[in-house]
Amino acid sequence: MSTQPMILAKDIHKRFGDLEVLKGIDAEVDEREVVCLIGPSGSGKSTLLRCMNALEKFQKGHITICGHDLTGSKTNVNEVRRDVGMVFQSFNVFPHMRVLDNLTLAPMKVLKVSKAEARERAMALLEKVGLVDKANVYPTKLSGGQQQRVAIARALAMQPKVMLFDEPTSALDPETVGEVLGVMKNLAEEGMTMMVVTHEMGFAREVADRVLFMDGGVVVEQGAPKQIFDDPQHERTQAFLSKIL
Amino acid sequence: MTINFAAVLPYLPVMLRGLAISLEVTVLSFFIGSVLGIFVYLGRRSTFAPLRWLGYAFVEVFRNTPLLVQLYLIYFGLPQVGINLDPFWSTLAGMTLNNAAYTSEIFRAGIESVPNGLVEAAGALGMRYLQTFRFIVLKPAIRNVLPSLTNQFIVLFLFSSVGSVISLNELTSALADLNQRTLRTLEIFTIGGLLYFLASAVIAGSSRLAERFLFRW
Amino acid sequence: MVTPLFAFDFGRDLPPLLRGAGLTIGLVLGSGIAGTIIGLVFGTARSAPLAPIRWLASIYTNFVRGLPILIILLFLYYEIPLLFPYATFSQAITAVIGLSVYSGAYIAEIFRGSIQAVPRGQLEAGEALGLNYVQKMRHVVMPQALKIAVPPGIGFLIALVKATSLVSVITATDLTRAGRNVTSANHEPLATFLVVAALYFVISYPLSLLGRWYERRLA
Repeated sequence: MSTQPMILAKDIHKRFGDLEVLKGIDAEVDEREVVCLIGPSGSGKSTLLRCMNALEKFQKGHITICGHDLTGSKTNVNEVRRDVGMVFQSFNVFPHMRVLDNLTLAPMKVLKVSKAEARERAMALLEKVGLVDKANVYPTKLSGGQQQRVAIARALAMQPKVMLFDEPTSALDPETVGEVLGVMKNLAEEGMTMMVVTHEMGFAREVADRVLFMDGGVVVEQGAPKQIFDDPQHERTQAFLSKIL
Repeated sequence: MTINFAAVLPYLPVMLRGLAISLEVTVLSFFIGSVLGIFVYLGRRSTFAPLRWLGYAFVEVFRNTPLLVQLYLIYFGLPQVGINLDPFWSTLAGMTLNNAAYTSEIFRAGIESVPNGLVEAAGALGMRYLQTFRFIVLKPAIRNVLPSLTNQFIVLFLFSSVGSVISLNELTSALADLNQRTLRTLEIFTIGGLLYFLASAVIAGSSRLAERFLFRW
Repeated sequence: MVTPLFAFDFGRDLPPLLRGAGLTIGLVLGSGIAGTIIGLVFGTARSAPLAPIRWLASIYTNFVRGLPILIILLFLYYEIPLLFPYATFSQAITAVIGLSVYSGAYIAEIFRGSIQAVPRGQLEAGEALGLNYVQKMRHVVMPQALKIAVPPGIGFLIALVKATSLVSVITATDLTRAGRNVTSANHEPLATFLVVAALYFVISYPLSLLGRWYERRLA
């Protein structure tokens, strides 16, 4: 077990044109830790998450993730993405492939895994997320919650060291939110390192090891869930929580 | 004036031979033109500005001038600078260039119709751009533009009749020729028209079938 | 090798081309207007409540759209003298008839699509207010359908400009025919037809830009 954090972000600044969205963020996530990012819309939480697997570039600061240094221009972005899995708010499941093929495509083409092994992995993951019977179905026939579970299994098929979740349940009907959070909770209990942007405070309270509250492009406060939710120190944290809890 | 379709039926094989040439030049110009169209599309997206402008000019010139004038330029004009193409190759060249201009636009629409989220997800899984394009973008893009591509094919097929003006022996020139010989204008053009119409209908129907088989989601 | 490109005597040969272009524009306007009227009739007929009307309109639009314009023009060119052996008239009239029949079918299809594109909720609102079929069409559907029809309409107009070039085959003196006449005199097909192409481009390109501008406005 290394003492180096899995994710280390120091003094991240990012702007979109004239608008500075991240104004000096420091964050770290240790191995097996689950960190939740909460905060109002526009606080920069999704942007920060997307910097972690180089979907967004940042102008100033350092990010080291799974030993890859994202700051250098020599970073092989594809190598980073083999170690970092991402789940999107809009699922982004590939609609023109059956569920099983969604899971086997990247392992076969990127990791060069054999077809047989990829299928084995995929079926095991589908069992884990509870969708074994949907292996040969086209995603358009599945509910939102089912599609998101497929997306999670697809990311896990790459055997990543870290999983990033960008508001995974925000686009779901309330009835299906639970099944997705359940899968995420199991993943956390198995020891996956996770960084989750979410509005589901119940999930954060129950599963997170640490919660970061972001507002206006900075980390306003961070700490254990119990401390953040029951005893917020900062005024802005208190204001945000009082509005939603 | 008497109407007698039976008198014209012996000439059906002549018409069908003409139809075969029409289809031949259509199929060739469609596929060669589509490949060329992909390159035109890539050119219009390149970072090299003169290439972008060249692509734009190519598309606009071929979409805003008549095929007949293009064929006259190729068939009558090029020989002045030493390039002599026979009616078949002239028609093929003109239709190919025309098709390239139109299909580059169709490809652009198709590729842009694939939601960006899917491309991001593929990237997040570690796929390189070429892999993403081949497995994630290509199939949905083609499915989205299949109706436009089919329509373009039919348009091209109907365009092939212009070749008759520069003496290509396709269906329309066969009809004009038979009309001179038999003077049975109504019968000949009715059957000829039906041949064009049925061929178009078969093409459209096959495309719909293909859509159902190849793109089952 | 370059001289054939520039061997065009503008002073002598441009005026006939411009006269030809005049007929081209006239044909576009004439058959465009006639075609729009025909298209309106058959386009609305495609969604008429009576099935035989729908079928008739459907046969017309689908059949004509499966034919090359040249076939229509040639047929009329040969058949009309057989039907009216004592009439003599300029081929421009034959051209207008042929192009109008051709345009009517395509414009009818554009209208059909536009009428269908008007959201169902609009029709239902009209019904809920007690309007009858004619009133619904006139006040609710058609105004909205016409707006939707403009971009594909402009697209067809551009196609029509190019289609008029085929009237040169039935000896109407449009821009393309003028080009052939000039070429048989000056023996410079390359230069002459480049000028012809440029003139077509000048007529058609502004329409392309207009169509794109309008589409952006709608979005």
